Amino acid sequence: MKETATVGTAAAYVPVDADFKLKDNAGDITIDTNFASQSFWKDVFIRYFRKTSAVIGLILIILISIMAVVGPGMNDYTYSGQELSQKNFAPRVKWLEKFGIMDGSETMKTTTGSMEINYYKDKGLDDLYYWFGSDNFGRDIWTRTWSGARVSLIIAIAAAIIDMLIGMSYGLISGYFGGKVDMIMQRILEIANGIPRLVIVTLLLLILQPGMLTIIFALMLTEWVGMSRIARAEMLKLKEQEFVLASRTLGAGSFFIIFKEVLPNIIGPIITQVMFSIPTAIFTEAFLSFVGLGIPVPQCSLGSLISEGFNSFTTHPYQIIPPISNE
Amino acid sequence: MRKTKAAVSLLTVSALVLGLTSFNTTVFAETGTSDLNIMLETPVESLDPQQATDGTSFEVIADYTDGLMQMDADGQAVPAIAESYDLSEDGLTYTLHLRDASWSNGDPVTAADFVYAWQRAVDPEIASEYSYMLSDIGQVVNAAEIIAGEKDKSELGVTAVDDKTLEVQLNVPVSYFLSLMYLPTFYPVNQAFYESVGDTFGTSPETVLSNGAFTLDTYEPAATAFHLTKNEDYWDADRIQLPGLNYQVIQDSQQALMSYQTGALDTTLVNGEQVDQVKDDPEFQTIGAGYLWYVSPNIDAVPELANLNIRLAMTHAINREAITDDVLKDGSIPTYTAVPMQFAAGPDGSDFSEDQTKYSDVCAYDADKAAELWAAGLEELGISELTLDMIVDADDAPQKVAQVLKEQWETTLPGLTVNLTIEPKKQRVQDMQDGNFEAALTRWGPDYADPMTYLGMWITGNSNNYGLWSNADYDAIIAECTTGDLCTNAEGRWARLYDAEKIVMDDAVIFPLYTQANAEMLSSKVTGIEFHPVALNRVYKNAAKTE
Amino acid sequence: MKKYTVKRLLTSLFTLLAILLILFILMQLMPGSPFNDEKLNEAQKASLYAKYGLDDPIVIQFFRYVGNMLHGDLGVSYKISKNTPISQMLETRLPVSIFIGGFAVFIGAVLGLILGLIAALKHDTIFDSLATIISVIGVSVPSYVFALMLSYSLGFRMQWFPMLYNAQNSFHSSVLPSISLSMFTMASIARFTRSEMLEVLDSDYMLLAESKGISGASLIFRHALRNALIPIITVLAPLIVDLMTGSLVVEKIFAIPGVGSLLVNAIQSNDYNVVISLSFIYSAMYIGIMLVVDILYGIIDPRIRLAKKGD
Repeated sequence: MKETATVGTAAAYVPVDADFKLKDNAGDITIDTNFASQSFWKDVFIRYFRKTSAVIGLILIILISIMAVVGPGMNDYTYSGQELSQKNFAPRVKWLEKFGIMDGSETMKTTTGSMEINYYKDKGLDDLYYWFGSDNFGRDIWTRTWSGARVSLIIAIAAAIIDMLIGMSYGLISGYFGGKVDMIMQRILEIANGIPRLVIVTLLLLILQPGMLTIIFALMLTEWVGMSRIARAEMLKLKEQEFVLASRTLGAGSFFIIFKEVLPNIIGPIITQVMFSIPTAIFTEAFLSFVGLGIPVPQCSLGSLISEGFNSFTTHPYQIIPPISNE
Repeated sequence: MRKTKAAVSLLTVSALVLGLTSFNTTVFAETGTSDLNIMLETPVESLDPQQATDGTSFEVIADYTDGLMQMDADGQAVPAIAESYDLSEDGLTYTLHLRDASWSNGDPVTAADFVYAWQRAVDPEIASEYSYMLSDIGQVVNAAEIIAGEKDKSELGVTAVDDKTLEVQLNVPVSYFLSLMYLPTFYPVNQAFYESVGDTFGTSPETVLSNGAFTLDTYEPAATAFHLTKNEDYWDADRIQLPGLNYQVIQDSQQALMSYQTGALDTTLVNGEQVDQVKDDPEFQTIGAGYLWYVSPNIDAVPELANLNIRLAMTHAINREAITDDVLKDGSIPTYTAVPMQFAAGPDGSDFSEDQTKYSDVCAYDADKAAELWAAGLEELGISELTLDMIVDADDAPQKVAQVLKEQWETTLPGLTVNLTIEPKKQRVQDMQDGNFEAALTRWGPDYADPMTYLGMWITGNSNNYGLWSNADYDAIIAECTTGDLCTNAEGRWARLYDAEKIVMDDAVIFPLYTQANAEMLSSKVTGIEFHPVALNRVYKNAAKTE
Repeated sequence: MKKYTVKRLLTSLFTLLAILLILFILMQLMPGSPFNDEKLNEAQKASLYAKYGLDDPIVIQFFRYVGNMLHGDLGVSYKISKNTPISQMLETRLPVSIFIGGFAVFIGAVLGLILGLIAALKHDTIFDSLATIISVIGVSVPSYVFALMLSYSLGFRMQWFPMLYNAQNSFHSSVLPSISLSMFTMASIARFTRSEMLEVLDSDYMLLAESKGISGASLIFRHALRNALIPIITVLAPLIVDLMTGSLVVEKIFAIPGVGSLLVNAIQSNDYNVVISLSFIYSAMYIGIMLVVDILYGIIDPRIRLAKKGD
């Protein structure tokens, strides 16, 4: 700082090599992506796969989705079938038990000490395998985990898509027309957002029949606000740009401009927001399960599994691990 | 400088927020090491004796207030503020003689305090939820009329003859009258004090008066922690060994058990999941809680449930042992009678529901018989499938029990589908009151130590007879036992109550499941806590704690 | 600017009133009533309704409530703590929630910023991956699981912190609940800081600043972080309101006498006045914080203030 500050008063300064440095964007400028002869989606595709973390994430998501479809069918248990004599069994997997892990034994800390139990051996059930263990009704946690993942994914994706449609349209319209329309629409939004989400969601669940559709509906009602904010902000940025003006001069109607001209240009931030709203939806559902208003028993979701496993946390910790690692 | 403002301002906002609450880090000297540390599951709802209705509030009110009578270790009524009493020949007039006792502000406890409190209990303006304790149950003269707004509260059948003599007039002889007297609804309130604090009565230590074993020192509405200290001026202060009671509300059972293990609690509830962890511990015990859990079928609104074979099939299909031993695991007892166990002792001192096999031909676990009855029922109805909705509280235990019931019914009874509707308790009660249900998993706690607290529910027109079942013979028996000839004949009444219960069971009006028990840990240092399923769940007057 | 602020304040007041009206209508829709205990008969319920004026038309109830509220009277609780004035209940509970929530926001914001900065500055190294993993865990594990893990390890095993909230030692016993609440905030802030910082560090003006010879801490904090703060504050603001109005689960686990558990209990037991008062406080805080955020934007980025003036 001091050296440069004195530049003006000192004798003419002769720049040296060390003063210059290439802007660190070497990777981007060597290839002319803007005018390269490849389609938009191909470009997205290539850039996406350049990032390892993104690829890992994608693989995980695909894996979980596949398991949510086929997982519950991989053994003979059903998500609701109870076998009360086989409850709280620790995980046991055929190939792994030889190595001394997941062999169906667990150590339980009691108030008087700790004890090692293996219910499979104690009850003489040598051919029985619960891959993730069994819960306190003797239900298979493996099957329940994946059917729970299925329920949660359906809820989250449905809620996110509906959010996107409502929130996006609302935000775009509000932003495009501006003035009084914007003013009124924004006040409505403020009111909707000012009421605690918990109050709206629980009330809805009390009034309507509890179930997956109600939960999706409740999530939809509360989650669209964030989406509409982003859409409105993007619209405000874009609506003064030349291409919108051009379109208008050519006689395009408002709705054509909003949905055909502006929308394709803001799809990036919108998709990001959708991705963020999926975990939020899963979370809200988990919270509802915690309060006891989630998906009706004996169906399950990741959220309800966590809150069930939560009650056995200090006794049978394995019951909570699968649903959490899934989230 | 302005450039750093941004980062700094963010931190300042947070710091300001931190500053909002004072850093009161002075660690209080742990309130007397031998205070009893008690865990509560729910906060106190009200410290106003005439407004409180829940077990937690009752327990705390009784810690610092004495009524006319108190409970002994076996749940019998023994004298407290009333030193002695006389009962008239016809059994209609009690004359109670009060001992010298004083309120914590120095005022003596007088008969007028009781008159004032009882009048509050029936005052339509106070609208006490437990006012029926004086009318339907206590049968105090004019109580029902005052509650209905037909008479003035001054006409209530209770009078202060002088400062130390209280006279109570009853409509009919009530065999269990004295055992009502330990219920906080009947506790005295000092009129002058009440009027001086007005609406804030019972919301802080300054707005309550004590005449009991302890005094309240810290409390705020719906507090999660509060403390009581021994009352040195208590009339029976010599008996009280504990220097104080330290209450802590903990809603998470795992936290509670961990606190117990560190020694921060002397007694705590454990849930079914934790029982495996503690069942070998000598400090583990189960304590009867009195509640009867049962399924109430809506006989009136669901034609299929009006069929007796269907109902009997459903009650036979329930494996109650599996529910209590494998799912609840808290010591709850399978119950096959309409009156739960261990709360009502008869004239000979034995439990009313001691014998659980009495109705084994109509209520037992028998899958084959259930299937037979079911087939017969379906044939009578001319259907092959049945779908039922059952409403269930959104709490942990009911949800678990309901899931097992669903599984047991669906596997034993072919063609039956049971859908569970989980809703908060308030709504479940509302749905039952509106008759808007097909079947409901519900519970009932005894209000006083007599089978009538259960059997009285099934008479025609009772507001708790949600299934709208009606049987003239049954109504006649109950009338005979409450207001008729049998009021004064304890043995005869007892026998007739069995007849009434048999009708309920034969008709499968309810499917009894189990008598609730609580699994608790109680430190071996502590002795003398008295546990009761009725009225006051825990009494600490004889409790002691050694170091 | 002043005119704008006054206008915003006035519309906010109007919005709050609208919210209050909607809350009243919502309460009417709630199934059940605070008094449907099994042991109450119809006549008793009717007299309780009359006593609290719940049998009046909704409009009358609304205006009476607004009128009382102007005198600082928020009504009494019907169920949770019978007949207790709600202002008295809030007096002790609100500060507890605000303190723990504020503490959580503080921890979350500081740790999140640090994590995000490390991840951005050590881009594509092991630190970056580590920070990413921590923030993924923070987002995906529910706070009550954190709460129990912390309580078990630091409270029960190590005995460093009390497992339950203790009013006499509020700071020490707030540590565990605040940490468990802060995880989500920390993770979101870390993620945003990282991506914003990467963008800012890559921008031309950072290159300019660097070429001017500015270096080290000054470069990062005065030039880079400041520009990354706006999106971060946008994310943080609603979180602050959520955290300060209490979290049911964490309050339940640590036995904290806060307002989060109160709201849920109130909804489930139809304690109308408690629901309305708490929701209203939430709304007021939400709208208030949004106002403050707008003003903060102006301080951090003068361009926004100018733009408003120009409008």
